[in-house]
Amino acid sequence: MENLIEELKKEIIEVLNLEGMTPADIDENAPLFGEGLGLDSIDALELIVLMEKNYGIKLQNANEGKEIFKSVKVMAEYINAHRTK
Amino acid sequence: MSIYIQSASHISIQKPLSEEWMEMPIIPDSFFMKSEEPDYKPFISPMEARRMGTLVKRALVTSADALRKGDCEMPDAIISGTGLGCVEHTEKFLNAVIDNDEECLPPTSFMQSTHNTISSQIALRLKCHGYNSTYSHRGTSFDSALFDAFMQLSLGKIGTALVGAHDEMTPDYFLMLSKLGYWKTNFYTLEQLRKGEEGGAISGSCSLSMLLSMQKKDTTLCELKDMEMFYRPGILQSRHAINDILLRNKLPLSEIDAVVMGLSGDQDNDDVYHELRKHVFQNTPMLWYKQIFGESFSASSFGVYVGAVCLHEGRIPYHLFFNPDEADNFQKEPKNILVYNHFHDRDHSIVLLTK
Repeated sequence: MENLIEELKKEIIEVLNLEGMTPADIDENAPLFGEGLGLDSIDALELIVLMEKNYGIKLQNANEGKEIFKSVKVMAEYINAHRTK
Repeated sequence: MSIYIQSASHISIQKPLSEEWMEMPIIPDSFFMKSEEPDYKPFISPMEARRMGTLVKRALVTSADALRKGDCEMPDAIISGTGLGCVEHTEKFLNAVIDNDEECLPPTSFMQSTHNTISSQIALRLKCHGYNSTYSHRGTSFDSALFDAFMQLSLGKIGTALVGAHDEMTPDYFLMLSKLGYWKTNFYTLEQLRKGEEGGAISGSCSLSMLLSMQKKDTTLCELKDMEMFYRPGILQSRHAINDILLRNKLPLSEIDAVVMGLSGDQDNDDVYHELRKHVFQNTPMLWYKQIFGESFSASSFGVYVGAVCLHEGRIPYHLFFNPDEADNFQKEPKNILVYNHFHDRDHSIVLLTK
């Protein structure tokens, strides 16, 4: 799980172009939206694409995103349980 | 009713957001000249900038700088000209279409790749709800945007307009246009560019914003007296168009202190200007600007910019004269400058600038 969290942090930095940030700057328990990283709805779309492209996970229900994208750790747990690649 | 170019700001091959090119121009020394980027941090926070492509960042910064110089917080209209829009993000999006087999496409690249992203990002940033338009007519995109602003200001529909010209050059795009013969592939000297005996121009990129309004101030660059655009003219029609614009403005040709032309060192492009020189402007000093700003779909904006800055400063630097002999004999303060550009000898434009 630790490896997946680290990998996910790197992917988030790359996909969302968070210039100047390193994986160490992202608290795996901090909220991704609002406080914490302060991401917005377009970032949510990018994260949905990331999950589908890199882990083969298609979100069927958009409302699921609210729970899944709570933090990097929650996201990693979801990926671990549902990944197809 | 008079229309003035209040201010202008650029990011190009030359030092950005500066008129240092008047004194110390950077002479292109390669076929693929990258624009010199300013420090974006004072203008755009890293969180905002992360989603923006290079061209959008450039457009936002030149717009902010032009508005600041022109002492305007909110323009009535935002009108941009761009030949191909945000190419960097277009390439990213299209590459993703291929790499991901048309699935899992990145939304940011899609949103940022449209031509009107530039005008809309400027409007979003300024919270400007006024007229917002983008012209994508290849080499006459800027001229069309300027003409729109000129007509709307003339009709009194708007009082201020932020007019932009924005085009970027990516390595892939440069390569594609090279194959079509757009760019020079051999090293060249200024003398060779002047002779214009070979094909291809020096590639450049362009982000130029200018503020137009109806009030004359101490800082005003010049008056945008008149302009005209026309399609596929022969030399006779061009001559008539020049005569018409001068007649309309009660100016004899002898009072035009200089004519700025889009000479680029590309034979096909330059022949049109040399014909005009031969038949119309025999006694008018000829200026060029693409030798220091390069060629791009929006390059004609630099012709207007160069003319405006020369009128404002009351002098024409030596390096802008196409013929060095004319520079030696030119000892007056310019009052009237004509800017003549064409794109592939199809779309021509004339802009009359006065002090």
